[in-house]
Amino acid sequence: MRALLSVSDAHVSYGKVEAVRSVSLEVAENEIVTIVGANGAGKTTLLSAVMGILPLKGRVTFGGENLARLEIEDRVALGLGLVAEHRELFVTMSVQDNLELGAFRIAKAKAKISLERVYALFPRLKERRKQLAGTLSGGEQQMLAMGRALMGAPKLLMLDEPSLGLAPIIVADIFRIVGELRASGVSVLLVEQNAQAALRIADRAYVMELGEFVLSGPAKDVAANEAVAASYLGFHHEGASAI
Amino acid sequence: MLFLVQDGITNGAIYALLGLALVLVFAVTRVILIPQGEFVTYGALTYASVASGQMPGTAKLALAMGIVAFALDLYAARRALHVRPIARAFLTNIVLPGAVLALTSWVVSRQPPVGVSIALSLVIVAAIGLFLYRIVFQPLAHTSVLVLLIASVACHLALQGLGLLFFGAEGQRGPAVLSTAFTAGTLRFTGQSIAVYAITIAFIVGLWLFFGLTLYGKALRATAVNRLGARLVGIRTTLSGQIAFLLASVIGALSGILIVPITTLYYDTGFLIGLKGFIAAIIGGLVSYPLTAVAALVVGTVEAFSSFYASNFKEVIVFTLLIPVLLLRSLAAPAVEEEKD
Repeated sequence: MRALLSVSDAHVSYGKVEAVRSVSLEVAENEIVTIVGANGAGKTTLLSAVMGILPLKGRVTFGGENLARLEIEDRVALGLGLVAEHRELFVTMSVQDNLELGAFRIAKAKAKISLERVYALFPRLKERRKQLAGTLSGGEQQMLAMGRALMGAPKLLMLDEPSLGLAPIIVADIFRIVGELRASGVSVLLVEQNAQAALRIADRAYVMELGEFVLSGPAKDVAANEAVAASYLGFHHEGASAI
Repeated sequence: MLFLVQDGITNGAIYALLGLALVLVFAVTRVILIPQGEFVTYGALTYASVASGQMPGTAKLALAMGIVAFALDLYAARRALHVRPIARAFLTNIVLPGAVLALTSWVVSRQPPVGVSIALSLVIVAAIGLFLYRIVFQPLAHTSVLVLLIASVACHLALQGLGLLFFGAEGQRGPAVLSTAFTAGTLRFTGQSIAVYAITIAFIVGLWLFFGLTLYGKALRATAVNRLGARLVGIRTTLSGQIAFLLASVIGALSGILIVPITTLYYDTGFLIGLKGFIAAIIGGLVSYPLTAVAALVVGTVEAFSSFYASNFKEVIVFTLLIPVLLLRSLAAPAVEEEKD
């Protein structure tokens, strides 16, 4: 498989504090990759830097193109999409307007097809298409944020904590849809605190601690790792050791 | 009494347009557009100059600013020089203002019809507004509101000084857009005041349609609501900024053209007019369009009454309105910290 996104030796700093240190990762086409780790490990920082919101030292390529000099908007045009932790919706605008703006860079005819697809994926959004985005429930807002990102027809969708603060039944729904995305040819880079659910649907996983990757490999192996289980999956094996 | 209300509404309509432009520009770019008043003056005096057969200096300014803007575009694209964007930049930054300058100098000596003078003035001021954003505010887009405000004050002073250079210290009046008049009861409606109402209403309806129905209008609103969100769907902040400044300069110029047949305008009159639009915008909290429009009508009416009953205190009364409003707003709303981005 060809690497769609490739990050090598990335450093991201807030002033003097280095939040991400020498991180390298790859996402191939049609792959779901997850980054799990505790709160404050630097996962969100890494995604923001890959998207161009924060400055990154190191090399990032997407589809073979070096992203170093590209603005957020140019990265969107290349097919990189981010559903940010705070969702960044247009809260005073309707659901449909939010979705239409998601296809801002796409030709009108294509946008129409995209809209039908997003409505098929999230029937709930279709019911509420005239409602203001700010009046939706948390789960619906998450669906809208994902739907809006999908409207731009991304090749790789980066999801930052999609399950944060949502009821378990909605979380299950969102993870089901992430699985469906891959089936339709979209790669996913998923950042999650809910490691159990993330590792279940991912192909490969990276474990992040204090700004560094401490473990990586096929998701099954990572899930089976005793230390990971102890730290993130909420149950203890006998004699688990720290990573 | 009634004629004062009428007068107030005529003025208020203009303040409403200016207030809306200020709210729009602030929401999209975080710039408090002090030079809005200069757009009014430039529009009015360019129109008056062209109509009276004089060459307005603003046409030359537009070309000069266009050349600087083009140089900046070239510099920004120095690493990847592609033919198409550069040709486009050349067209809007140099060919357009150049053509307008040529057309203006050809037209001024030939007693142009009112419509032509208006169109030329609007295009000239629109170009100045667009280039002002490109030269000053686009490079500063990532800075704080305070830096943007200081730059805005600088632009105001520079443009005002240039206004004095272009138009001289004497005031000018322009020909009326509509010269008919009729009387209804005790009120006399001049063609010009009808034009003010009609154009203001048409413009507000037009803006409403633009923001409600078109993709670019929605993109502008989206940028105002959530700048990062807008960037994440691929809406360029610079594009939104350009549209906002273009609208603001056209609105300013249009206001100027509407009032210059009624009042004599000097090179520095625009500032005071813009400031009253600003009061309306502040009452609207720099976010609410309907509140701004209503506040503008109140400002216009208060001004009309105070200039009739206590004309010496006209400005004092109008600007004093700000204090109770700010006090009320500060009591009603919790302290807002400046947005970080």
